Amino acid sequence: MTTLTVALVVGAILFGIGLYGVLSQTNLVMIMMGVEVMLGGAMVNLVAFWRFLHPEAYAGQMFVLIVMTVMALEMAVGFGVGTGRFRAKGSVEMEEAQDLKG
Amino acid sequence: MITLTLIILGPLVAAALILPIRRGVPALALFGAGVSLASALALLSRVAVGARPSAELPGLPGLPLRLTAEPLTAVLAAAAAVVGFSVMVYAVGYMRSEAGLTRFFAGMSFFVAAMQALVLAGDWVLLLAAWELIGFSSYLLIGFWFERPGVGQSATRAFLYTRSADLGLYVAVFVLIAHTGTSEISRTLEVNGAAAVAAGLFLLLAAAGKSAQTPLHGWLLDAMAGPTPVSALLHSATLVAAGAILLIRAFPLLPPAVLVVVGVLGGLTTLVAGATALAQRDLKRLLAASTSSQYGLMLLAIGAGFPVAALFHLLAHAAMKSALFLGAGVFQHARGSTQLADLEGVGRARRLTFFGFVVSGLALAGVPPLSGFWSKDAILAASFSSSYAPLLAPLALAGTLLTGLYVARALRLLWHGEGESEPVSGTRWMGVGFTVLTVLAAVLGLALPPVADLLGIEPPGETLLVVALGLVVALIGLALGWAFPADRLLGPLSGLAGTGFRVGGGFDGLVVRPALAFARALDALDRGIHAGVLAVGSAALAVANASRATDEKGIDGLIVALGRSARRLGNRARTLQTGLVHKELLLAAVGGALVFALLIVGSIGL
Repeated sequence: MTTLTVALVVGAILFGIGLYGVLSQTNLVMIMMGVEVMLGGAMVNLVAFWRFLHPEAYAGQMFVLIVMTVMALEMAVGFGVGTGRFRAKGSVEMEEAQDLKG
Repeated sequence: MITLTLIILGPLVAAALILPIRRGVPALALFGAGVSLASALALLSRVAVGARPSAELPGLPGLPLRLTAEPLTAVLAAAAAVVGFSVMVYAVGYMRSEAGLTRFFAGMSFFVAAMQALVLAGDWVLLLAAWELIGFSSYLLIGFWFERPGVGQSATRAFLYTRSADLGLYVAVFVLIAHTGTSEISRTLEVNGAAAVAAGLFLLLAAAGKSAQTPLHGWLLDAMAGPTPVSALLHSATLVAAGAILLIRAFPLLPPAVLVVVGVLGGLTTLVAGATALAQRDLKRLLAASTSSQYGLMLLAIGAGFPVAALFHLLAHAAMKSALFLGAGVFQHARGSTQLADLEGVGRARRLTFFGFVVSGLALAGVPPLSGFWSKDAILAASFSSSYAPLLAPLALAGTLLTGLYVARALRLLWHGEGESEPVSGTRWMGVGFTVLTVLAAVLGLALPPVADLLGIEPPGETLLVVALGLVVALIGLALGWAFPADRLLGPLSGLAGTGFRVGGGFDGLVVRPALAFARALDALDRGIHAGVLAVGSAALAVANASRATDEKGIDGLIVALGRSARRLGNRARTLQTGLVHKELLLAAVGGALVFALLIVGSIGL
């Protein structure tokens, strides 16, 4: 078993844990944490493919940087919404947030 | 020429003005009748000195409306104008408290105009038109009180009777025009042979209808449903005279074979109508039947070959019978009825009117020196000097006897008995018209010799025997009528006479029922056509409805179904959008997994 395979399995496990978290949790914060873990899994994949298949290209590294930026932005927006929601309703439970439906 | 047209235009303009103005109606009518009277007298005076004015008014192409003034037409026009004016004066008083004066006086004025046109017509086409117009005015005036029960039916009956007979005039005129190529009356009178016989018989049919001769006399009794001035003017002096006038004017045309028929028909009528008059229980119906009977005497004189005797009696009768009707109108106002039972004793209550009535009645019966004596003498003399004297003379004598009988009966019933009289309003106007006509009825005998001179015809020679015979018969009639009730005089005939000899629905069945059956058949045909048109229409409607249904159910239905299914799809899709975050995330994950699975399958399979 090569190290690439190990890295991919780690990535897949991370993604699976994140997905479970997203689907099983009802708290906004917990769901977002799941999303972070999923993205982490994806980034492990990206880094592994760059490191073991095309170490000469920088595109893999750049991709990871972009994903991290997107994660930061997502967090900022997500926690902004969560804070607003908490201030208005005193809760960030997603089961009670059906009224946000358009 | 102006006087000639003014005779007709005066009342015609009055009628045309009365209808829109509707105010001062009697004055307008009197003015129209007055213009007519003055022009007619002026015309008579001009004709008397030898003038023969004529006028040609534009009519149909090739058939101008000719008016001619001969001595005969001038005399008749003057007579019609005098009676018309007197009756119009009387009507102002008689109709004082009636509604619908506009209708009445317009109708009367129109009738006078049409009658003068008939008298003065020098052309068959104009005569035919006037003949129709007087029939039409008669219908309107008989039906004047159309809201009363039975009046409309009487008017319709009278109209149908005369209209059926009018067909005779049409046929006769067509025969004459086809034979001579001209419609000028004076030039068609030279026809002879078979055409003359045919034309003469058809003219006789028309005259019998208008002059209420047997078997067409039934309508005149019904015509009494109209106001009394109408009866006095139309149904004694002018309209019914049209038949006799027609035969007098067409006399040169009539061959001996037709003359016999004319004379016998007249004689028969004078008997039938005389007996009818004797049995009537209504004063106006008595006078109507008497009118029929007197016109029968005139036809008898024509048939005997002496139209001048008929003309004498026509003139005298116009005055006498109008006066009698006008008197009857006064009695009618006094008692509110024309039934002889209601009028008993009215003569003693209104003595002056009764005096006039007696004078006119005795004149009618032929008592000297009143006018009827002279005219009836002329008729008797005519019947005795005819070549058919054994046939016609007894009929004329019987007619004279019957006249005496019913006149005496009417006078007796009016004089004897008791009854409550009401005051009569408008007597001044009524009195003037009544007086004029009564005086004429008394003294018109003086005017007869000058009329004969004017016409240039010798009246039939009278022998002392004939004069004495006529007078004796008339006096016997008067005495019997005064002494015995009508039932005793008529014996078994009284039942038949009371209904005007309508034997088993006889004359009604002869004329009215076929006409009605024909009308019903036409009605059924009409309804059939109507139903056919309706069926075609409803078929087209059904086709249109079907095509509309396919439009609505087909095309419209398709579009509506499309919209409905799109909405149903939308409704179903909407249930996915619950707003529950984890559910939506699950869907996204499942979807992602599906895409992933497809990619794997695709990469392996290919």
